[in-house]
Amino acid sequence: MTETRGSNEALLEVKDLRTHFATADGLVKAVDGVSLRIRPGKTLGVVGESGCGKSITALSIMRLIERPGRVVSGSISFDGQDLIALPEDEMRDVRGNQISMIFQEPMTSLNPVYTCGDQIAEAVSRHSNVSKRAAMDRAVDMLSQVGIPDPKRRATEHPHQLSGGMRQRVMIAMALSTNPELLIADEPTTALDVTIQAQILELMKALREKNGMAIMLITHDLGVVAEMSDDVSVMYAGKIVEASDAITVFDKAHHPYTRGLLASIPRMGVKRERLEVIEGVVPNPLNLPKGCLFKRRCPYAMPICDNPPPLREVTPGHVSRCWLAPDGGKPELGEAPSAAEAEAAAKTLTVANP
Amino acid sequence: MASSETTRPGAVSPLGNADTDEIDLVAVQTYWQLVRRRFFRNKTAVIGLVLLSILIFSAIFFPWIGGDAWHMTNLSKGPNDPISITAPLGYDNLGINIFFRLMKALQTSLIIGFSAVLIIAVVGTTFGSISGYAGGWVDNLMMRIVDVVLSLPGFFLILMLVAFIGSVVAPMFVIIIAIGITGWTTAARLVRAEFLRLRESDFVQAAKALGASDSRIIIRHMVPSAMAPVLVAATLGIADAVSTEAALSFLGYGIRPPDASLGNMLTGAQDYFYRHPLWILYPGITLILVVLAASFLGDGLRDALDPRQKLEA
Repeated sequence: MTETRGSNEALLEVKDLRTHFATADGLVKAVDGVSLRIRPGKTLGVVGESGCGKSITALSIMRLIERPGRVVSGSISFDGQDLIALPEDEMRDVRGNQISMIFQEPMTSLNPVYTCGDQIAEAVSRHSNVSKRAAMDRAVDMLSQVGIPDPKRRATEHPHQLSGGMRQRVMIAMALSTNPELLIADEPTTALDVTIQAQILELMKALREKNGMAIMLITHDLGVVAEMSDDVSVMYAGKIVEASDAITVFDKAHHPYTRGLLASIPRMGVKRERLEVIEGVVPNPLNLPKGCLFKRRCPYAMPICDNPPPLREVTPGHVSRCWLAPDGGKPELGEAPSAAEAEAAAKTLTVANP
Repeated sequence: MASSETTRPGAVSPLGNADTDEIDLVAVQTYWQLVRRRFFRNKTAVIGLVLLSILIFSAIFFPWIGGDAWHMTNLSKGPNDPISITAPLGYDNLGINIFFRLMKALQTSLIIGFSAVLIIAVVGTTFGSISGYAGGWVDNLMMRIVDVVLSLPGFFLILMLVAFIGSVVAPMFVIIIAIGITGWTTAARLVRAEFLRLRESDFVQAAKALGASDSRIIIRHMVPSAMAPVLVAATLGIADAVSTEAALSFLGYGIRPPDASLGNMLTGAQDYFYRHPLWILYPGITLILVVLAASFLGDGLRDALDPRQKLEA
């Protein structure tokens, strides 16, 4: 679906992933038919508001979904193997080795009772047969690679002796110590202040170039996406609403939600009375609207939006889940398809664009 | 290093960082440094620690230099012999050196106390960690087992155990095991509660994402963090175990003469209450000291280990 620039081989291909949570109040479809594609050595930015299913998608890929959640259907093919079908012990060998993950909260993602060096060395020795000493050397080496001054001393310190930015560096060092092919970064800079954010992003970029790994960058910060990503997928209420390469998404956003997100970025030099916002809130996952999930907040909402829009190609390599015509205009009202027609159209289009 | 000079892509460390370093130079106290400071500011805690250390030292040292003195009868000695440096508490009606007997009894009581608590800690931690980590119906089932054990009247269960198997197994082991299998429930509940909290913690999630197995996560990442409440419960448990032993022996179900325990020394002294009231005070006061020391220490540890408690300046 996003076969844009060369490299047709996908490192990770997620197809029609559905992760549902059976809660006491009802079934929450946290991820409902998400398809993603990450090219080797490239960065995919996954954008969306809180609660739209970004993190659950990542955890599903890692197979770390806990009760009451469950991956209901879909396929996750990584490097030719289907992660969903993999036995748990083989999956453990993938985790941290081929796919690493860094989390949002560097303050709490490190175990407070062990030194930073110990924790990195543990990750190293978990996935390779090296002596304790060699693992520790690797840990110190990784700490210096992520730009921590005096890595030898830092390796002997406990997490609480480091600042937030330093801890995130330690997390990155740990994640990268096994030379993974894919790094899943779940809002890696959200908990950090802006100057440290820039440093961490810069660091991730540099390490990506150096190790040739791919990154799945989960964030709600479009600035971060613009800085980092080759491809972008925008999620809303458990579904992908728009996906393309980064430039297209930023220049020619099609879906009103993406446009809303872009419009709500404060811009320097542009004088406005108020910040643009997207009206309303994310729909209650227990009580999703019929048809387009965004219609209640959408300035372009039209009668046809009562039918679920398919993810269809706007321009080659650029898909959007919206009834608006590819040029962004409203489809002629008189020609709006009836509900039955819309559904039929949705079916064929969904098949055409998995 | 300013970041402007290090933006080469692919550089090994694009961002050495002076700012972060400066922030870190502010003196940080580690958790254990704080714990130590809080502990040593607490007078009763320090008293408990010193007292318990003295008691443990005495229980090791005096029976060792005393040799057989704790049970050797000496018909040439008796209650009316004057106290001396070798017999600071005099002799009893059988000519046994009371001081050495008391020290031996203290040793027995402390061995029982510490061993029982060890069982409690090990069983409780294992049970609680499995329960808390597994969650769901496993957790439910295991906690109902805890409820069942809690609903048993502990002391009478111990009495029954002693009565039934006391004749085959050495009484000391029976008491240790009996206290152990009735007392682990509190530790199990504490550990389970900690595990329920830790299971959701980010670093456990991070360990999973690194490919760590369940057993590794439990043993390496969760148990150490869940140990503080167990340590407190165990210390307080020593006081419990020692007094339970004394009660059993006092009733004649525990350690029996000629073996010495604080409980059976109390029983033995009963008969001489009017003529030699001090005899009942020696084991009685020793027992009180052990229980007090363990309680003080336990309370002090609880306050010191609580990370929410700030250090008042």
